[in-house]
Amino acid sequence: MAENGPIGWRPSRALLALPPGLFVLVGALVPMAILVVFSLFRVEDLTLVPAISFDSWSKIFVDPLYRHLVGISLTYGLITAALAGLFGYPLAIGIWRMSNTWKGVALIVLLTPLYTGDLMRLYAWRLVLGTEGLVNAFLLWIGIIHAPLKILLFSPFAVHLVLFYDTLPFMVLGLLVSLERIDRDLIEASRDLGASPLDTFTRVILPLSIPGLAAGGFAVFALAAGDLLTPQLMGGTSGVTAMAMIDNLFGTAFDWPMASALAVALLVSLLACLVILGLAVSRLPPVQAVLRGGAR
Amino acid sequence: MSLLMRAYLFVFAAFLYLPIAVLAIFSFNASELMSFPLSGFTLDWYASLSANRTLLTGLLTSFLIAQPVAILTTALGLMAGLALTGKRLLWRGAFIAALLVPFIVPKGVLAIAQIMLMSRFGIPRGPGPLILSEALVILPFTTLILTAVLVRLDRRLEEAARDLGATPWTAFRYIILPQLKAALIAAYSVGVILSLADLTLSMFLAGRTQPLSVIVSSAFRTSLSPDLNAMQVSVLAVTILVVIAVEIVRRRAGGRPVRFAEHDATAEGEDIAARTG
Repeated sequence: MAENGPIGWRPSRALLALPPGLFVLVGALVPMAILVVFSLFRVEDLTLVPAISFDSWSKIFVDPLYRHLVGISLTYGLITAALAGLFGYPLAIGIWRMSNTWKGVALIVLLTPLYTGDLMRLYAWRLVLGTEGLVNAFLLWIGIIHAPLKILLFSPFAVHLVLFYDTLPFMVLGLLVSLERIDRDLIEASRDLGASPLDTFTRVILPLSIPGLAAGGFAVFALAAGDLLTPQLMGGTSGVTAMAMIDNLFGTAFDWPMASALAVALLVSLLACLVILGLAVSRLPPVQAVLRGGAR
Repeated sequence: MSLLMRAYLFVFAAFLYLPIAVLAIFSFNASELMSFPLSGFTLDWYASLSANRTLLTGLLTSFLIAQPVAILTTALGLMAGLALTGKRLLWRGAFIAALLVPFIVPKGVLAIAQIMLMSRFGIPRGPGPLILSEALVILPFTTLILTAVLVRLDRRLEEAARDLGATPWTAFRYIILPQLKAALIAAYSVGVILSLADLTLSMFLAGRTQPLSVIVSSAFRTSLSPDLNAMQVSVLAVTILVVIAVEIVRRRAGGRPVRFAEHDATAEGEDIAARTG
């Protein structure tokens, strides 16, 4: 019946993709292309020479420092994603089982810290982990330690902890979306057919929630590996990541080509990791079953 | 729910709010030094805050930047959502991938790349580029919020309006828009909140403009002081109120989109025929 309507009204709704599409094109995709162009320039006496040069790229491939920095960023990303998946999964299950009202409350509780902003969270964590902070004061008070622990702040531990804290809500949200999509009849059917709660979990719920685990994992990995402020403000000397180096090269050293080359290298490594993880996940037997349409 | 699960959820709720609670406690603590044990209760930091011109100007700047960001990102998110839930969108996968780019690319890299692009055209840093850049980074969030509601709307209401001769605009204005009210408020609020929360983009793109986060971060790098806590706690209190208000509005209005009362087999059949035919 809608086919008989005035010609051209259906395509008009698809045309609405143009403004946001153009916005992303000009605001994100063109700048990414510019990044590649700048990585091929050279700097002489603090001025940019717009002539093709592979100086920066040869440094990326020859100097082990840059590989090392990209490696640190990716490691932060992977460890954070693993931690968020491990601790976030039971959280998502717990929230998923709540009644609708409690679910709303749980979502507010989960998301509000996300809205506080990077700075406030880092600031607050300093008050918790610092030498005169909450944790040290507590440990001194109960007498486990006799001098404040210095490794709590400005250490890889602090960076991991804060990155985990910052990204956990994204993991739980990703998982919740895919848990909510599971047909509850499937779970009941599995119980009716005599499966133990553990069997129902490992053979029905877990496989069907892997898309959410993957989506949450990808989001957490990208956010943690690309974070600038957390390693910088919480990591001390361990906070030198690829992103911190890019910031340094761009702002302090004014070496835009080198900053661009490292940024492109980081982006490509991020994408490569995501693709490899994506392929690995899609090879898992339970995911294969879901992909083949065994369950929906 | 088992006791173990309850305990687990409770521990993580405590973990999420531990740093925020410490921040709030020190904003009421009667000592310049932020260390335990606590010294006593005071409202001095809130009083000194109300006299702190720099922080208040920063807050006003952030607020003025957040409004156009939220309007722009909500409008673009609405268009993206309508396009995604329409039927004849070509390159659908590519469009979704493009919308995810501002989320996946590290904010620092994005800001640096934008500055490089701007330098080619001689555009200086300042509030304009900052507003556009923040709107771009928040776009994936607003698109998600609006699309989640748009997919649940009953298409037949719109189709009926169209069959009865409504123009696309009229159908949108009187059928879709009223059902989107709560989602639009939610998207707008998330736009404001995430704009206020931003530091990375502001550091690179604000130029001489000084949003609150930039002022606080430069103070933060040198020393911690309790009136900064008071500022952060005030902003957070407003944020929480907004989040709760939005959730209440969403539950009252947006939770249940308008549907036909009779959802019988004939209507279902016609709908499928219309889609495939």
